[in-house]
Amino acid sequence: MEKKKTAKNTPDKQAVMNFEKALKELEEIANSLEEGELSLDESIRQFEKGMQLSKFCRLKLDEAERKIEILQKGEGDRTIRKQVDVDSESGEIANDDDMQGSLL
Amino acid sequence: MTNDSTQQKVYSVSEITRSIKRLLEGRPDLNNIWVKGEIFNLTFHSSGHIYFSLRDDDAVITAVFFRYANRSLDFKPREGMTVHALGSITVYEKRGSYQINVSLLRPEGVGDLQRRIELLKQKLAKEGIFDPARKRPLPFLPRRLGIATSPTGAAVRDIIKVALRRFPNIQLVIAPAVVQGADAPVSIARAIEELNRPEHDIDCIIAGRGGGSFEDLMPFNEEIVVRAFYNSRVPVISAVGHQVDHPLCDDAADLAAPTPSAAAELVVPEKKELADEVDYYRLRINNSIQSLLGRHGDRIEAVTRLRIFRDPYEIVNRKEMQLADLANKMLISLKDAVASHKNALQRIPDLRMLIEKLIMSRKHAFLMAVRALEQLSPLGVMQRGYAIVLDEAERVIRSIANTGIGRTISVVLSDGSLECNVNSIQTGGYDGKEKDGKKHS
Repeated sequence: MEKKKTAKNTPDKQAVMNFEKALKELEEIANSLEEGELSLDESIRQFEKGMQLSKFCRLKLDEAERKIEILQKGEGDRTIRKQVDVDSESGEIANDDDMQGSLL
Repeated sequence: MTNDSTQQKVYSVSEITRSIKRLLEGRPDLNNIWVKGEIFNLTFHSSGHIYFSLRDDDAVITAVFFRYANRSLDFKPREGMTVHALGSITVYEKRGSYQINVSLLRPEGVGDLQRRIELLKQKLAKEGIFDPARKRPLPFLPRRLGIATSPTGAAVRDIIKVALRRFPNIQLVIAPAVVQGADAPVSIARAIEELNRPEHDIDCIIAGRGGGSFEDLMPFNEEIVVRAFYNSRVPVISAVGHQVDHPLCDDAADLAAPTPSAAAELVVPEKKELADEVDYYRLRINNSIQSLLGRHGDRIEAVTRLRIFRDPYEIVNRKEMQLADLANKMLISLKDAVASHKNALQRIPDLRMLIEKLIMSRKHAFLMAVRALEQLSPLGVMQRGYAIVLDEAERVIRSIANTGIGRTISVVLSDGSLECNVNSIQTGGYDGKEKDGKKHS
């Protein structure tokens, strides 16, 4: 288990991981507000937090920009990433002679 | 024993065939048995049934592989191919023939392969490679998905199609691999390793291929591939299309999917669903706060009715007015103080006059006193004709006793004095009658 940790945790990656937490917290806030046990002050604080979280979540969903890349054998040990077009209906990669074959 | 047919029992063909059928089909050693042979006279019937014969050097048996049974076939049988057929011997009465009714067909060597796989599985299991406890959860929201498969196969198309449908702005990185043949194991392992490199920034990997024969899927049973799945630092999903036996890599992966498109469904969330969920919570939170504010409406209204909220400048204005008031009062009292001092100052000349007056009156009184004094002065008396008589020692002689005959006296008049000698002395006082030049002496 220890040996299989993710390669790195860039801040960006960390933020993506937090989407799940944010969504969970959003759900908890919705539940606790509906229970109505909170004071007015606390309710308003929770409301504001919920609004922030929902904004964060929507932001996270739209954050990435669609990009399809294919790895190609570069010089020596290097590989290069090449952006390709795909047909989202069929999943077909726009034909490009370079893309055939494998990394071997 | 006789050859006379009239004296012995005569069986119909059907009867005898039924006997044979019962005999053959009832024997356990002819039921559900593996038979090895080479295929010939292979026919794919339009009904979906497959007919062929199996032979070895000395014998032949016909075989039938019905449609319902051959659906599980994971390779294409060919003329001359040596196969293992699992089946039972049946008798086809209409033709008076027996045959093997096949339920499973495998190319020869598969049995050996399966034994090899089983051994590898035991070895890797001892190493803990298939330990369910080490399986990691998939990322909730993968941003960059790695795909290790053939760039031209159906698998990559299925994954792309499903991934983009579910999450239109996802990023995909395809690591092309050979998924069939001798080069496949190394190629697949290499593709998984490559996707693990940090510069590709991958959240999750799908590795696999579409369905195929047992032999086609064999690379995913190879040790190097299974280890590549195990060693992946990025969570990896096995996506090898299969119907019967699952490949070994399934057990080493963090998650096993039955097909490539299923793998994409499992790891790529439906963006719209997530967005709807966020909006749903947002709406609930909004509704809750609205109703809460409604319940607290009166209190809030009461609060907002406070003057400070209605007119926040009111307090400032009031304080400003107070300040102006105080300033005003201060100014006035200052003016008063100045004025009173000014009055006091103005009263000073009167004082001088008073003093002057006082001085004048004192001066006058003094002059009067001086005049009165002048009246009383001996000089004044002398002007009226009186003189002062002094003895030789300049002492005033008030009595005749103070002098004697022959002594010198000075008679002081207002304008000078006389030196006189006393010639005689008479007693008795002066009657006041003035005799010209007459002296009492």
